[in-house]
Amino acid sequence: MDFDWTEEDRAFRARVRDFLARELPSDWAALSRHGPGSKEQTEFSLEFCPKLAEAGLLVPHWPSEWGGAGRPPWEHFILGEEMWAAGEPRGAQYMNVNWIGPTLMRFGTDEQKRRYIPQMAAGKAIWCQGFSEPNAGSDLASLRTRAERDGDDYVVNGQKIWTSYAGLAEHCFLLARVGGSDKGKSGIAIFLVPMATPGIEVRSIPSLIGHGDIHETFLTDVRVPASARLGQEGEAWSIINYSLANERVGIPRYELASRVLDGMVKELSKRGRFSDPVTRLRAGSASAACEAARILVHRTVDKRSRGEALGAEASIARVAVAEADHAVTDFGLDYMPDAFSGDGDLAVQTHHERAIVTGIAAGATEIQLGMIAQRWLDLPREVH
Amino acid sequence: MRFQPNEDQATFLSVLDQMAEGDAAAWKTSPEWARFEWSETFDGMLEANGFLDCAGEETLGLTMAVAMTHRVARLPVLAECAASAVLRPLVGPELPRPIAVVDGDPRDAIRFLPVARSVVHIGEGGVRRAVLNPNAVSPVDSLFAYPMGRLAAGALEWQAANADPETVRNAWRAALAAELGGALKGGLDAVVAHVKERRQFGRPLGSFQAIQHRLAGAATRIEAAHWLALKAAQSLDPVDAATALGYVQDAATRIVNDLHQFMGAMGLTLEHPLHRWTYRARLLRSAMGGAAGNLEDLAERRWRAA
Repeated sequence: MDFDWTEEDRAFRARVRDFLARELPSDWAALSRHGPGSKEQTEFSLEFCPKLAEAGLLVPHWPSEWGGAGRPPWEHFILGEEMWAAGEPRGAQYMNVNWIGPTLMRFGTDEQKRRYIPQMAAGKAIWCQGFSEPNAGSDLASLRTRAERDGDDYVVNGQKIWTSYAGLAEHCFLLARVGGSDKGKSGIAIFLVPMATPGIEVRSIPSLIGHGDIHETFLTDVRVPASARLGQEGEAWSIINYSLANERVGIPRYELASRVLDGMVKELSKRGRFSDPVTRLRAGSASAACEAARILVHRTVDKRSRGEALGAEASIARVAVAEADHAVTDFGLDYMPDAFSGDGDLAVQTHHERAIVTGIAAGATEIQLGMIAQRWLDLPREVH
Repeated sequence: MRFQPNEDQATFLSVLDQMAEGDAAAWKTSPEWARFEWSETFDGMLEANGFLDCAGEETLGLTMAVAMTHRVARLPVLAECAASAVLRPLVGPELPRPIAVVDGDPRDAIRFLPVARSVVHIGEGGVRRAVLNPNAVSPVDSLFAYPMGRLAAGALEWQAANADPETVRNAWRAALAAELGGALKGGLDAVVAHVKERRQFGRPLGSFQAIQHRLAGAATRIEAAHWLALKAAQSLDPVDAATALGYVQDAATRIVNDLHQFMGAMGLTLEHPLHRWTYRARLLRSAMGGAAGNLEDLAERRWRAA
């Protein structure tokens, strides 16, 4: 056992930090307030990600065949920690790096790989994720958007909601029901759909987590060729399980939370308000929550780096990550409320807007707790 | 970073597991319904097989001493592991064991004292140690699931330990974090077994979501606590050590209350071992300053320069 970074890991982290210090503009703190799906950040990511790619820092963990350098999963993760803590200058493109690209590599046809992966590896592709629907959130398998086969095409009708980054995305990783079944996991397929296809209408939903992040997406007689289907009909559930296993540990939120906590304490100390024992205890408690999240997430990365499948450990890590994010936000609300108004503290505000979604996106905390109960503690499923 | 044990560590943990699953460490009720079972047999097995000296082995180290402390604390019987395996290599490898540790007010009742042969005092002024004599200890009855005793003032010949007090404190915090985390894990495992079996309203208790979610929350904190203790054992960093102990002490209150809640009336009896874990946890919650002291100390260390 060894819980310390290797020299190589440290050098890699230093390289990423140097790059960020050099390439992020002086108004980045204000820019990053807009959220990863905003017009401002999307445009920025289309300049920033190609530079990352050129420096070998966009997809170092991908195989060289697809523009990577076959670097270990730990480097991918260090990259993720540093990017998220810097306000995620990759914008929506972090999804390509973390799971859309690897999913296409594993399940895509040669044509799909050639068409999409090089653009992602070059830092020039914006994708959105068409999963949730008005009646299918946590219960994703009950989705109703339907793709009817029509000759060499499918015709898609339905509605998606909470679609992250849909407003400016060029492509959608879309789930739709196929064949005769109205429910269940077995009748779902994945389609790689250009957002410019006629019949797709997107409406942005004003939100607490940054403008341009979440949307409603309406699909009316959207015609997509059968060659846009990823995997076979009915194979979607096993493919997205693979994708979500990558995504579940995808965002190292504790890294930003921990740095924002540092900033809060620095500010409180400067104002002479960090000597009260209760304030210190609460800061210590938030710090411990961040470290608990960090070590549980690192354990999942360690497991993945050894090529082992992730079980309930990913859910355990996510529950701890949500607790850490909220502990830091609550500390700020209790001890420096003024940071949440005006230009008080942009990092605190950015963190707060992103933390409010932790525990909801990519599998609600209650879903994670259920998985821990059933897969880790082996408790019987709830009977109805 | 590597969360897997190396080959020697894996062998060490696997042999320890076999011993821990044997008869010497199994649950049985105590004569006259004592609240703990001091297992001289199991304690002797750890010593005789060299387990308690693992910190000195290059491929095992203090991390394994702390991992062992966690494993032993999961048992319904008591052995003295934390002080012998984690502290003794630092403060006096020749000290006779079992060892009791004074880490708070020396006038308080101290765990393991009635079975101990020496004592280590981690105080403000430094670390000292003494060999016990029969006149120095009076056993006391206690609600806690340890043999408890008081030290007679002035009855001992203390010797300053030739050890860095800061290192000793950090190692002891890591050991206590592991002991408390292991006790909580032992209790959790017992309660999980119970709610799988026990049926009410025609279904196992463990199928109710109200119970599942709270046990899953407990399991999450117990997992985090385990790894934080191992990390602190490796680094002996003051922030890591205060984090590990403060975190698990803070979590312990709610976990212990939930474990008793889900065990129902059976958990109130001395015919079920739940109290063996929870009444250790109820004592360890306050060690070395308790959750509040450790979390505040962590804040002090982490942001000293802020």
